[in-house]
Amino acid sequence: MSTARVPVMEGLFSDESGEARLLGSRCSTCNTPYFPRSDRCHNPECDVSQVQDDSFGPRGTLWSYSVQNYPPPPPARYDEPFEPYALCVVDLDDGLRVVGRMAADDAGLEVGSKVELALGPICHEDDGTEVISWMFRSV
Amino acid sequence: MHTWGKFADKSVTDLCRVAVNRALGDAGIGWRDVDAVAAASSRFSGGKGWGLNGNDVVEDMGSTGIPVYNMSAGCAAGGNAFNVGYSLVAGGMHDVVLVVGGEKMPKGFIQTSGVDEDSDPEFLRQRCVGMPGPSFWALLCRQRMAEMGTTEEQLAKVAVKAHEVGRHNENARFRQQFSVEEVLASNLVSDPLHLYEICPVSDGAAAAVICSAEKARQLGGTMPWVAGSAVATARFDDGLPRGLAGTVPAGKAHHSEAAIAVAGALEQAGASPGDLDLVELQDNTVYYELAFPEEWGLCEPGESERLLEAGETLPTGKMPLNPSGGFLCFGEATTAMGVFQVCELTWQLRQEAGPRQVPGATLALAQTLGLGGNASALVLKR
Repeated sequence: MSTARVPVMEGLFSDESGEARLLGSRCSTCNTPYFPRSDRCHNPECDVSQVQDDSFGPRGTLWSYSVQNYPPPPPARYDEPFEPYALCVVDLDDGLRVVGRMAADDAGLEVGSKVELALGPICHEDDGTEVISWMFRSV
Repeated sequence: MHTWGKFADKSVTDLCRVAVNRALGDAGIGWRDVDAVAAASSRFSGGKGWGLNGNDVVEDMGSTGIPVYNMSAGCAAGGNAFNVGYSLVAGGMHDVVLVVGGEKMPKGFIQTSGVDEDSDPEFLRQRCVGMPGPSFWALLCRQRMAEMGTTEEQLAKVAVKAHEVGRHNENARFRQQFSVEEVLASNLVSDPLHLYEICPVSDGAAAAVICSAEKARQLGGTMPWVAGSAVATARFDDGLPRGLAGTVPAGKAHHSEAAIAVAGALEQAGASPGDLDLVELQDNTVYYELAFPEEWGLCEPGESERLLEAGETLPTGKMPLNPSGGFLCFGEATTAMGVFQVCELTWQLRQEAGPRQVPGATLALAQTLGLGGNASALVLKR
């Protein structure tokens, strides 16, 4: 029996294609990527905003990481009792520098290492439903 | 300036009244001589819940009908208020402008999202990723460690240095000294940053009087000159991990808003970074005392750790940083910080800073940074 899953927020990511993707946009004039989706291009050097839906991932490089050692204040969500988790900034091969978590079972934290986008639980609802967000895993 | 601390029995207006009266007394003027007020809008206290802190001060001191400008710029608001006050005097609109910032802070870490909605990137960072404020500094710091080889001991030495000078400052809240071992033994808040390497929150208020050259000559006394004052916001492509995502930059990620403000203030002053005798910079965390001097051209990239360990960032060194003790020793009273820096620069340029005096200081820079990509910088000269 598979565990029930719910996204932490709708419209930010998907794995319908079998591969985790971040759902954003890209301006076809200046090639600037946006996550989350943007309805216009904010690049001051770009004269013609032509923004279309695009998706990003999965390959990237770890730019930096940290470990969250104390329970964060709302609106962050976590299971009790609080367990520290790793945060990261990843430069996706698509040209997007994005924040995220490292997957809980990932021990390999090294700036410059190759990582891959994944979806996984950040906490659980009272009924056991997994609350899913995007995260990264070493490859 | 009112001392920094926790003052359960005082309102933010009480704190501001003390700071304003000291500033007026220092300038040798009375409240009725003030032509206008440029105030930092508090994020957390007073201001009628609308950030109208300047109006609170005017009502408290006596409503004379003068114009009040309330400035919102997150933690950079004090610096922005100074810039507006300076511009009003320099532009000939007013002869005497009072700049004031005061804050009573709620307990705990500063909440970086003021709204509970999906359209706010700070809300999304916290809800979807679990990234509270200090983790932003931790990520920048870890990146520097990987790039420059900065060690945990070197990070701790920044905090040790701060308290070595801050213990001499009677206005500072945290005046005890720490060893490197004690800093590293404090709680790991956001790896690699420990509790003593991150500034706490405090209550405090500061005020300054800016007046025209003619008025200054009438009043006499030793007054520093405003050589430059600039405000900036972040560039689109600076590569800092703000919000959920940005573009991978062509160059090195940096706080563009701070670099633009500092460069602007220096240009107005006709000075280069090497001309500065001291710098008060926004050290929310030890990381900034290493990164900012390099980002602004005070020293070469990768040189900060060596200068720190050689004692060059002490008041007696070649590149004195935060002789006041900085945010680490004061704790952040958010919007008051930009004005607190003006007080410190003034005392330093008048050679009145006692044991933390930078010998012979004639040119000094102060800088703030605020939520939303805000920054300010000012240069004072003797």
